[in-house]
Amino acid sequence: MMDIPTISITERKRGLRGQNRIRLLGLVFTLGFAVIGLQLVRLTVLKPEDGEAKRIAASIERIPRPDITDRNGTVLATDVSVASLFADPRKILDIEEAVELITSSLHDVDAKELYKKLTQPGRAFVWIKRQVSPEERDVVYNLGIPGVGYVNERKRVYPQGRLAAHTVGYVDVDTKGIAGIEKFLDAEGAIYTASLADPGKPLSAPAQLAMDVRVQHALVDEISKAIVKFKAIAGGGIVMDIETGEIIALVSLPDFNPNAESKLITKDQQNRMLSGVYELGSVIKAVTFAMAFDYGVINMNSKYDARFPLVIGNARINDFHAQRRVLTVPEIFTNSSNIGTAKMALDVGIENHQEFLGRVGLLDRLLTEVPESAKPILPKKWGKLVSATAAFGHGFAVQPLQGLSVVAGILNEGKMVPPTFMRRSKEEADVLGKQIVKPTVAANMRELFRLNATDGSAGKANVPGYRVGGKTGTAEKVVNRRYSKDHRLASFIGAFPMDKPRYALLVMLDEPKPTPETYGFATSGWNAVPTAGLIIERIAPMLGVTPVFTEKDREALAKRAKAKKG
Amino acid sequence: MLKIANFTLVLATLGTASVLYSHEHATRGSERELAREKAAIVDSAEAIKLLKAEWSSLTRPERIQFLAQSQLGMQPISPDQFVTEAELAARLDALTTSSTSAPVNPIDDVLKKMQ
Repeated sequence: MMDIPTISITERKRGLRGQNRIRLLGLVFTLGFAVIGLQLVRLTVLKPEDGEAKRIAASIERIPRPDITDRNGTVLATDVSVASLFADPRKILDIEEAVELITSSLHDVDAKELYKKLTQPGRAFVWIKRQVSPEERDVVYNLGIPGVGYVNERKRVYPQGRLAAHTVGYVDVDTKGIAGIEKFLDAEGAIYTASLADPGKPLSAPAQLAMDVRVQHALVDEISKAIVKFKAIAGGGIVMDIETGEIIALVSLPDFNPNAESKLITKDQQNRMLSGVYELGSVIKAVTFAMAFDYGVINMNSKYDARFPLVIGNARINDFHAQRRVLTVPEIFTNSSNIGTAKMALDVGIENHQEFLGRVGLLDRLLTEVPESAKPILPKKWGKLVSATAAFGHGFAVQPLQGLSVVAGILNEGKMVPPTFMRRSKEEADVLGKQIVKPTVAANMRELFRLNATDGSAGKANVPGYRVGGKTGTAEKVVNRRYSKDHRLASFIGAFPMDKPRYALLVMLDEPKPTPETYGFATSGWNAVPTAGLIIERIAPMLGVTPVFTEKDREALAKRAKAKKG
Repeated sequence: MLKIANFTLVLATLGTASVLYSHEHATRGSERELAREKAAIVDSAEAIKLLKAEWSSLTRPERIQFLAQSQLGMQPISPDQFVTEAELAARLDALTTSSTSAPVNPIDDVLKKMQ
């Protein structure tokens, strides 16, 4: 009994200490659970901080390749999902058997090559065949070979086929842009491409081109008909909005099929309008006239003596349709007198001539979004003779688009807007525009262009009602280092409606042959010009140009209607 | 006292556990549904893209031109087919006078005969 109190005291103390420990432990657990509970409430009940999740999602998603559409939203290029078959050679038990099975269901896969690929040491991933059809995918997948599988890949398709092939370009099997706008989207236009992407979504707004597929088709259709009709070796054409510099249609024939598996583009299939340079011949006279007006060397009443060939050193410059008389400025234009135009350029002076060609950009490579572009071929030294021949488009070669954009600039109140393949608004164009000649010069040039269509060499392009104006050109091609009389380049540069020019058109035919309908002629006025007329008649209504008729137009229309009936 | 407290706590634990389980189950279900719907959206978007491409391919101007010419006998528009409002009256007169040879209103003719 004596022990009890002592024991009880020590026990009590121990007990108390034990209880304190339990309380402390309880407190620690309570705190722990409270933290977990609060965290649960924060993560589930309260909303997570905005943006965090989105940022992560955006960084994971690769920027998708945008579709390409025309100005009206017609799809020109898009991605579709297709399966690609692959194999992990390490997992395949019997490679020989696998090769046999695969090649028996995929007939275009080479057995030897596949065997070689699968037996390479240390490979963990081998493509069997890229971009297979759903049936092929199922057949191979159902073979049940371990280590053989498929992934869904994006494949680029061009629903409009050849129609816009040169502008849109194409991609390789890894959907990397190789040519045209497709290349632009990957390279110089990467920032533009990124701007189309919708953050956080695997979607992109389409890249919208300036092109109108209806106009493009009309241009392709008429030029391919002209190539057949005049037995030309090639042809091309461009339609451009003068005010905004937008290229509404661009055709170069022969073209290629962007949907074809192997795209071996021959030199013949290149984009002649951009990556080809040509001596444009007489259409360049328009530039010389604008220059002479701008320097104040001529006015509409000036006269030049074209009775005798112009002799510079050993060279004689002659006229194709020699008039052998004194010609006024409008007469020089409508008769396309080389003598008159050359004399004009000499009056302007060699240095000023060079300065003007530089001002309008004919001495530099023209760069657009489409990466294929050729540098102009220029004479090494500028002398009197070079200046005189350059006045009528000989001795220097430029991209056809360059020639058209200068004429478009002259006709746009002298304000040249750099050409573009993408959509562009009037406001953007106004900022980019550069005054190359005075507005008064533009007025004179409009008059000359219109006159040449009503009374001059571009008469066959004068579609009643659409107020067409234009300049023709027939250049002799250089064959074996000499100008050949039988190999010509016929071209037409024009615009409509001439009272306020809005659309510029270029038509080019390479080596057109004389036919019975052209009475044995093969100059521009007989082939490129009537083709331009047919094109304008088709595209003007699409572009919203309403016809306005004069008495003469009505007579022409009545005559046409009669000819149709009879 | 302590027993009751413990008992209620055990009950509470069981209760919250079952609630938690049911919530988790519901969440899993919703997540599955969400994934299904998302996959459906992706599939639909893919289908729309494919259909748009097909539409673009079927409405190729080249094809439309062939069909319009061969099936409907249509021709490109000629400038004289544009008529302004002011000219409309004259144009209509010309059209009606040229077709007067045929009886315009056969009922009128019948009525006249009856009189």
